[in-house]
Amino acid sequence: MENRLLVLARLFAAAPGFVVRYRILILAIVVLISIFQAIGVATRTRIDISTDSMIDQTDPAIAALNAFRTQFGSDDSLFLVYEARDGDIFSARSLAAARALTESLRDWRTLDASRYDADLQELDQIRRVQSITTLRVQRVDGDTLRSERLVPDVIPDDPAQLAVIRAQALAEDDYRLAFYSEDGRFGALLIQTTFGARPLEGYVPAVNADDISLDDAFSNFGGDGGFELAFDEQATIDEVSFELVDMAEYKQFFTAISAVLEDYHSDFEFYPAGNPSLMSWVFDVLQELLWLAAGVVAIFIFLLRALFRSFSAVFWPIITILLSLLWSWGITVWVGATLSTMLSLTVMLVFAVGIADCVHVMSAYFVFREQGHDHAASLSKAYEKTGLAILVTTITTMAGVLALTGSELIPIQVFGFMSALGVFMALVFTVVLLPILLSIWHPAPAKAPGASLSARWLIRWQALPFLGQTAMIVLLIGVLFTAAGVAIGFYICLTGLITLAVLRWQSNILAACPDWAQRRTGTLLGVFALIFGASVYGTSLVKIDSNVAELARETSAPRIAYNMVDEHMAGAQTISVMIDTGASDGLLEPAVLKAMEALQQVIAERYATQISRTFSLANIVKDTNQVMNQDDPAFYRIPDDAVTVSQLIYLFNSANPEERRSLVSDDFSRSHITLNSYNAGSYEYQQVMSELDSEIVRIFAPVSAMFPDLQVTVTGSVPMMMRAMDEIAQSQYSSLLLALAVISAIMIITLGSVQAGLISIIPNLIPALMTFGLMGLLGISLDVDTLLIAPVIIGIAVDDTIHFMTSYRLELIKTRSMPQALKNTVQDVGRAVMFTTMILGLGFAILGFSEYLGIAKVGIFGGLAILVALLCDLFLLPALIIKLQPRFGIKGELESFSDAAQSTITAPGNPSGRS
Amino acid sequence: MRLLKTRLRVQMTLAALMLSTSLMSTVFAQTAAAQTTTEGRTILERVEDNQRAISDAAFNRIQLSSCRFGLQNNQITCAERARVKALESVSINTGANNRDTRAISIVLEPAAERGISMLSYTYDDASQDNETWLYLSALGQVKRIASGNSDDESEPASLFGSEFTTEDQDTGKLEDYTITILSEGTESGREVWLIETIPNEKRSRSTRYARTVQYVDKERFVVLRADMYDRTGREIKRLMASRVEQVNGNWMARSLTMMNLVANRLSNMAILEINSGVEIPETFLTPRTLTDVAFREAELQRIRAQVQ
Repeated sequence: MENRLLVLARLFAAAPGFVVRYRILILAIVVLISIFQAIGVATRTRIDISTDSMIDQTDPAIAALNAFRTQFGSDDSLFLVYEARDGDIFSARSLAAARALTESLRDWRTLDASRYDADLQELDQIRRVQSITTLRVQRVDGDTLRSERLVPDVIPDDPAQLAVIRAQALAEDDYRLAFYSEDGRFGALLIQTTFGARPLEGYVPAVNADDISLDDAFSNFGGDGGFELAFDEQATIDEVSFELVDMAEYKQFFTAISAVLEDYHSDFEFYPAGNPSLMSWVFDVLQELLWLAAGVVAIFIFLLRALFRSFSAVFWPIITILLSLLWSWGITVWVGATLSTMLSLTVMLVFAVGIADCVHVMSAYFVFREQGHDHAASLSKAYEKTGLAILVTTITTMAGVLALTGSELIPIQVFGFMSALGVFMALVFTVVLLPILLSIWHPAPAKAPGASLSARWLIRWQALPFLGQTAMIVLLIGVLFTAAGVAIGFYICLTGLITLAVLRWQSNILAACPDWAQRRTGTLLGVFALIFGASVYGTSLVKIDSNVAELARETSAPRIAYNMVDEHMAGAQTISVMIDTGASDGLLEPAVLKAMEALQQVIAERYATQISRTFSLANIVKDTNQVMNQDDPAFYRIPDDAVTVSQLIYLFNSANPEERRSLVSDDFSRSHITLNSYNAGSYEYQQVMSELDSEIVRIFAPVSAMFPDLQVTVTGSVPMMMRAMDEIAQSQYSSLLLALAVISAIMIITLGSVQAGLISIIPNLIPALMTFGLMGLLGISLDVDTLLIAPVIIGIAVDDTIHFMTSYRLELIKTRSMPQALKNTVQDVGRAVMFTTMILGLGFAILGFSEYLGIAKVGIFGGLAILVALLCDLFLLPALIIKLQPRFGIKGELESFSDAAQSTITAPGNPSGRS
Repeated sequence: MRLLKTRLRVQMTLAALMLSTSLMSTVFAQTAAAQTTTEGRTILERVEDNQRAISDAAFNRIQLSSCRFGLQNNQITCAERARVKALESVSINTGANNRDTRAISIVLEPAAERGISMLSYTYDDASQDNETWLYLSALGQVKRIASGNSDDESEPASLFGSEFTTEDQDTGKLEDYTITILSEGTESGREVWLIETIPNEKRSRSTRYARTVQYVDKERFVVLRADMYDRTGREIKRLMASRVEQVNGNWMARSLTMMNLVANRLSNMAILEINSGVEIPETFLTPRTLTDVAFREAELQRIRAQVQ
C-alpha cells in the first residue's frame, strides 16, 4: 500500500512535466471545449426560480391544493395590515382612505398609470379585494333581511354615527381580527390573487379541438315532464395544469401594489404580510447576494495576492476555477438539466474546493522556490507533495454532494450532480491546466528583503514613532467605520489584522504547534474532549425547523409585518381544510356541517396559540339560522334536518353570492374550513397538521359512512411550502450523516489503517458538530438553507484534515520518524491549511452580512466551522497522533515520539529528532 | 316591456328564468330586411327586439341540469349523474313602456328546495332599487331581501348553483359595449355572424368578461354560441345553444348549455315548456302569492288551464 501511494505521488510529480510538454495540444483542446461549453451556457441555460419547483408535484397533498385552486381560486393572498396615522381606523378620514384604497386596487385600470413608478398591469393578478369597506352584515329588520355594508356609502362625519359603525364592527366575531384589531388601531385589506391558479401558458381546452359537438342528450327531451341527462363515467375530463409561480412575478406584483400604497402614506402606515410580499423581499435579497458573491471573490483575490505576493499566483488559480465552473455548468445544460437558485451554492462550492486545491499546490510550490529550486522542479515537487491529498479531497467532497442526489426533488439532484462535476473539474484543471498556465507566467524567485514595494512601505512604517503609528491606525479605523458602518468596518479590520498576523508570524506559529502539542498533549485533548461533549449535547438540542418570517432579520420589513400581524390581528398564514364529499349537495347534509363545526371547536380549544380563527360554511348556516329566527341566539346552531339547512344556504346564496361561492362549490360537494394561523416554524406546522389529520379521521368517521368518497385534506400554499421545507431539511440531515460516513470510509481506505482513519474522523466531526451544537445551544434552528450548505462546509473542513493526514503518512513513509513527519507536515501543510482557512473563512464570513438569515447563518457558522477545522488540524490532530502514535499500516521500524523523547534526553543538542 | 338580451341581468335567482327566455333569441321570420343590416349593433338590437314577443305574460317550465363534463367520442357529455332542478315561472312586463318586470319563480325539484319561491320586481330606472322577496318553505317565512346597494355593486351570482350566473347577463345597455362583427362563418351547420362585444370601462367593473364573441344565426337571429373571455384573454366559459325550434312563429333555442372551461362543469338549461301571451293578473305577482298557498295554487291552476 505504501508503495502504491508513493507511486501515485510520483505520478503526480511527473504530471506537470508531461502536460507542459503537450501544452499546445492540451490548450487547444481546452479552449475548443470551453468555447463549446460557453455556447451551451449562453444558449441552453434555463433557471427555474419558481418556489413550486422545490415541491414534489406528485405529492397527493399538491393534488388537493390544485383541486382547491381549481374550485376556489388561488389561496395565495396579500394580507395588507395598516395602522391609522390618526390612531383610529374607524375615523371618517381612515374609513374614506380605506375605501379609496380598496377601490384603487379593485379598479386599478382606472388609475392614471403615468403617475406611478411601476407597471400597474401586474395588478392583473388581483382576484378580489376585501376590506372593512366591503364587508356586509346580514340582519333582520322587520320582514326585511338586510345584507348591508358595515360602512355606509356615505361615510358620516358625526362622531356618534362613527361610534355606531365601530361598535357594530367590533361585535362581528367573524370579521374581528381578520379585518380590524380589537383596539381599532389596525385594519387590514385581504387582497386575493391568481398566483398559482393560472393555467399553463398555451393551455388549450380539449373542447377547442375540431369536430367537437354537444352530445345529443342535451336536446332530447319531451315537452311534458323532466328528463334525465345521459352521462358516461368513462368520459375524459380535461384537467387543467397551473403555471408554476416565479419569484420575480411576486416581486413585480408587490412593486405595483407598493406604488399604489404610496398614495395613502399620509393616512396609513402599512405592514404587508403574506407570500407575495415575503417572496418579493426574498427576490431582492437574492439580488443582494450577487453583490455579496462579488465581495467573496474580491476577498479571495485580495488574500491570495497578500499571501503569495504574486499576481500570477492569483490570476491562474482564478482562471482554473472559472473554467471548472464553465465546464460543469456547460455539461449540465448540454445534457438538458434545468438549473435552480442552488446554482449559487455550486459556484460557492467549486470556488472553495478550487481555491483549496490551488492554495495547497501554490503554497508547496513557494516553499520549494524559497528552498532554491527552479520553477519546473518546484512545481513537480509541489504536485508530488499535494497531488494525492487533492485527489482524496476531491473524492470525499464529491461523495458529500453526491449524497444529496438521493433526494426526490429534481433541483437538489441537479445541484448534487453539477457540484460533483465541478469539484472533479477543479481537480482535472489543477493537475492538467495549472502547470501549463504557470509555465507561461509564473511567480518570480523570492525577492531579497526590502526589495518589494510593500516591504519598503513596511520599513517606513516601522520607522514611525509609536505615537504616530497609533494615531495613523486610529484615523484609518475611524474613516473605515464611518464610511462602511460598524459591521463591515469591523470585518475589514479583522481581515487586515489576521492577514498581517499570518504574514508576519506564520512560521513561528507553525513551528510552535507540534512542540506545544507534545508538551500539552493531555490539556489539549481534555479541552477538545470538553468541546466535543458540549457539541454533542448542543447537537441533541438542535431543532430542524424552517420559519418563513425568521428568514428575515428582526429589523427587516417582513419580520416587522409578521410580528405586527401576529400581535394585533389574526396572523397572516392560512391553512385550509378541504372537504370533498364526492357527492353533489353533500354539504347540505347536517351531519357534514356538524362535523365541520366539531372540528372547528376542537381547533379553537386545543390550538389557541397557533390558530387564531376558524371560518366555514357552518358559521354561515348557524348565523343565518339565528337571523331567520328573530335573531334568537338559541338558534345559533346547525338545524337537524337537511331541508332547513338547504334553504338557509339558499337564502345566503341569494343575499351574498360571492361569499357563498368562495366557501362552497356550486354543486355543494366541496367546501373548506379556513384556519388563520400565527407565524410558526415548519416543525410546529407539521405537528399541528399531523394532529389535525388524526382529529379529522376521528370526527369525520360517521360522515365517511354516509359519503364513501369523502376526502378531508389539510392543505394551503403556506402549509405545503412548510411541509416541503421540512421534508427537504429532514432528507438533507440524513444525507449529511451519510456523507460523513462515506467520507470516513474513504479516509480509512486511503490512510491504510482503521486506527488512523478513526483518528482523522474526530477532527472532521468536531467542526460540524460544534456548528450544530452551537446552534442548538443558542436556540437557532437548522433550516432548509443551512442544511443544504452543510455538506459544502463539511467538505471544506474535511479537506484540510485529509491534506494533513495524507501528508503525514507520506512523510512517515519517507522519514520513518513520527516526530519528524509531524514537524514537516505542520510546517508544509499547516501553512497551506492556514491560508485556505483564512481565504475561505473570511470569504464566507462576508455572507454573514446578508439580509437573508438563511444565507447569513451559512456565512457566520460556515466561517466558524472552517476556523475550528484549522484549530483541530493544528492542535488536536498533532495531539492525537502524539497520544496514539498510529503507524498507518506502515511495517518496519519507525521512530516513535517516546523514542524521540528518549533521544532528546540522551542528546539534548538535537531536540527535534532526526533531520 | 323589459328588453332581454343575450347578456341580460336580473337580480338573483329570478334571473335564471329571465335568462332562459333571453337567450332563446327568437326572431320573427323577417329575414329579408335583416339581411341587409349587417352592422353588429343593429343585429344585436334586432335580436333583442324580437325577444319581447316571448318574454311578456309568460309561463315557463324549466329544467336545470348540472354536471362535470368530459369528452367521449368527440362529444361533450356529462361524466357523472347530473343534478337536476325544476322550476316554474310566471312573469309580466309593466311600467312605462313595459320596461319593468315582475316575476315569480317556484322551485319544484329537488325535494329539499321544493316550494322555495322568489318574487322579484326589476325596475328599468337605475335609481330605483330592485326588490326581491324570498319564501323559504322549510321555515315558513318570507323575507324581503335588500342588498342596500345600487345595482353596480351587486356581485355575480350563480343561478340555482348552476354554471349560469348573473354575469352571463347584464342590465347593460348596448351603448356600454363596443360591438364589432369579426367575421362570418358557420356554426352547427348554420351561417352565422361572429360578433364581438367589449364592455366599456364602467361596465367592465361589474363583469369578469372582458370580451364576448357571439355566433348569431344570420337567418333566424338566434345566438347559437357565445365564448366568454376574461381579462387575460383566456376563454373561461362557452355557451352552446341547441334544439332551435320555431315556437308560436318565433325561433328559439330550447336547450342552452353553459360550459365552465376552468372547472370543467356544465349546466344545461332545458326549456321544457314555454307559453307566452298568457293572461296573468297583476295581483298574482305580489308577496301574497308567496305566503298564501291557497291563493297561489288557485291562480296557478287558472294559468295552467290556459296553456293546456
